Amino acid sequence: MREAHAVILRDVTKRYSGHTAVAGLSLSIPRGSLYGLLGPNGAGKTTTIRMVLNILLPDEGTIEVLGRPAWDRTLASRIGYLPEERGLYRKMKVLDLLVFLAETRGVGRKEARGKAGEWLERLGLSEWSGRKVEQLSKGMQQKVQFISTVLHDPELLILDEPFAGLDPVNSQVLKDTVVELARGGTTVLFSTHIMEHAEKLCDSVCIIARGRKVVDGPLSEVKRAHGGKHVVLALEEWRDGLIDEALQDRSLVTRVDRYGQYAELELADGAAPQEVLERVLRAGAKVTRFEVSEPSLHKIFIDKVGEVAQ
Amino acid sequence: MSKVWVVVRREFMERVRSKWFIVSTVLGPVLMVAFIAVPIIMASRGTGERTVAVLDASSGGFGERLTEQLDQAPLLRASRVPVPVGRLEEAADSLAELVGFRALHGFVIVTDAAVEDGKLEYRGSNVTSIADMSLLRGLLEDAVFAERLSRAGVDPSVVRRARIPLEFTTLKITGARTTRASGAGSFMLAYVIWFLLYMGILLYGANVMGAVVDEKTSRIVELLVSSLRPFELLAGKILGVGSVGLLQFGIWVGFAMLALEQRDMIARLLGQPGLGAAGSFPEVPLSTAVVFLVYFLLGYFLYAAMFAAVGAMTGSEAEARQAANAVVMVLVLPSLLMIGILNDPAGSLAVALSLIPFTSPIATPVRWAAGEVPPDELVASLVLLLLGLWGVIWVAGRIYRIGILAYGKRPGIRELVRWVTAG
Repeated sequence: MREAHAVILRDVTKRYSGHTAVAGLSLSIPRGSLYGLLGPNGAGKTTTIRMVLNILLPDEGTIEVLGRPAWDRTLASRIGYLPEERGLYRKMKVLDLLVFLAETRGVGRKEARGKAGEWLERLGLSEWSGRKVEQLSKGMQQKVQFISTVLHDPELLILDEPFAGLDPVNSQVLKDTVVELARGGTTVLFSTHIMEHAEKLCDSVCIIARGRKVVDGPLSEVKRAHGGKHVVLALEEWRDGLIDEALQDRSLVTRVDRYGQYAELELADGAAPQEVLERVLRAGAKVTRFEVSEPSLHKIFIDKVGEVAQ
Repeated sequence: MSKVWVVVRREFMERVRSKWFIVSTVLGPVLMVAFIAVPIIMASRGTGERTVAVLDASSGGFGERLTEQLDQAPLLRASRVPVPVGRLEEAADSLAELVGFRALHGFVIVTDAAVEDGKLEYRGSNVTSIADMSLLRGLLEDAVFAERLSRAGVDPSVVRRARIPLEFTTLKITGARTTRASGAGSFMLAYVIWFLLYMGILLYGANVMGAVVDEKTSRIVELLVSSLRPFELLAGKILGVGSVGLLQFGIWVGFAMLALEQRDMIARLLGQPGLGAAGSFPEVPLSTAVVFLVYFLLGYFLYAAMFAAVGAMTGSEAEARQAANAVVMVLVLPSLLMIGILNDPAGSLAVALSLIPFTSPIATPVRWAAGEVPPDELVASLVLLLLGLWGVIWVAGRIYRIGILAYGKRPGIRELVRWVTAG
């Protein structure tokens, strides 16, 4: 029987000498979901992940992983892990290293060899399998590291800041592979503080700040619950002061977030998007994009984490 | 258990295949051969002949006889420079000039005080050579001794017979049984055992530390502890490096035995037949080999665990080396007291050192080789060592478990205590 949730945290607390890294955190990660654990630096993401992996023990609370307590020794073979701090044995040959890491997760030597070969081929590293890790470029090492996390066909994939330090090509490779694995039924938990990544990938999220949960749930629900009407506005040319009059009217727009080429506007209660458009046009601005939307994850994150910070 | 095996195999294979292993395994025997060969070569080439002068201001023909005796000694040329007592210093100055021109190594100043009061003086460029000086001293002593006897009216043939040197044999008594092992041989065996234990434990223990630091600095440890218990990782590492050590020792010991067996041939190859027998090595009894092996392994485990803990609590190779000095100091302690142990293998110092778990891995086998360790003391030593080992591994394992994931400032004593006592 397969449980509905791959990971369940109940009132988990972890203290280090002097400060509380995670405080009474509860969350449930649905099976087969792409789950984003979001939070600013130092929010407790890595500590939470380490507790799920039984690298750290919680001071309070319980953690259930794939239907077993987190300390269950059989879990290692069912979980794949890409740590934030990445590293490999530099002097080892690529294939030997992958086989070794798979063996530590309970895969037989022969099987590990075959699978490693397949993955190396898939990510275009076949001809490097006999080389030492230190002879590989950084991007190739990142691929090897990623292979090591999926080599044993894990049911749960845990990626801590997976996109940190990745070049765009590898980012894409990683994203494609993760999505494909998720489609195949693998549950993926990944942490990030870059909301654009989460926005594109996740179907569920949990935002934490200062070790506490701020909000969690399916992405669509989180957006709906955040409420408010939002408009994404892009102009051909942002000239100083041109549309300030419209944007500074608090009966119309309560908040403006500028992102380079566009801005996200939060509309006041009862304000109509149409009215905003009219006022902007009347000011003489050339509009290239005007879109009534749900709040972006970025905006939710800033709002929610900002609340906690105050 | 199977995961420990996976770690052991990786540590073993990676090390055995590395350049470091190949170089050090080959270099070891090369040094051993050099140990045997260099003295032979040195003996054949010699350090060259020494030319000395006898500045003779004595009376009664002693100077002539002394010069003759010195000249007969191997590798020594002596010639006599007679001089009246009043002009001694003047003559010495001109001989010193000859020494300066390297025409002469030095000169002995002989006056009548030599025979009467035993006062002799040598001035030369080779006074720092212990070999030269002890040879010269021996010859001078013999000559003065003979001169005194003959002046007292003793027959010269009696004097010659009185000067036949001693042949002093020492044999070790183990229990109540006289063994064939000679005193010098036992000393040498104990010395070799000390050297192997000290070097082995230090070398491979530090190797474990290096491996721990390497995993920590390369950050792969985070990945490893997500699939292995820290203790499995630590145990696998220590056992893996240990088996490399045993293999390397095995190769070296095998090579050493071969070299000793074939030392005549090696000597012949070097063009010095006969000299090979000079470096004889005592036979190693099986019991000594067993004691050595058991203590080497237990001592290695003990120190490797400590080195691993040190590696885990530091953040870089350099920092670890520095922190490891404390561990090395404990290891060095029995070495500093080696002479004490060898002088009195049954004395209270030796007994104490062979009971303390941190010193017994080296002290007990050395005592065993040098003299006698009563069975009850051996058992007590082993029990204490095993208890100590258990304690050290427990503490080291806890430091390791937390240390490998802790980055930043090196923990202080209080922080370490918290690591050890934390659930």
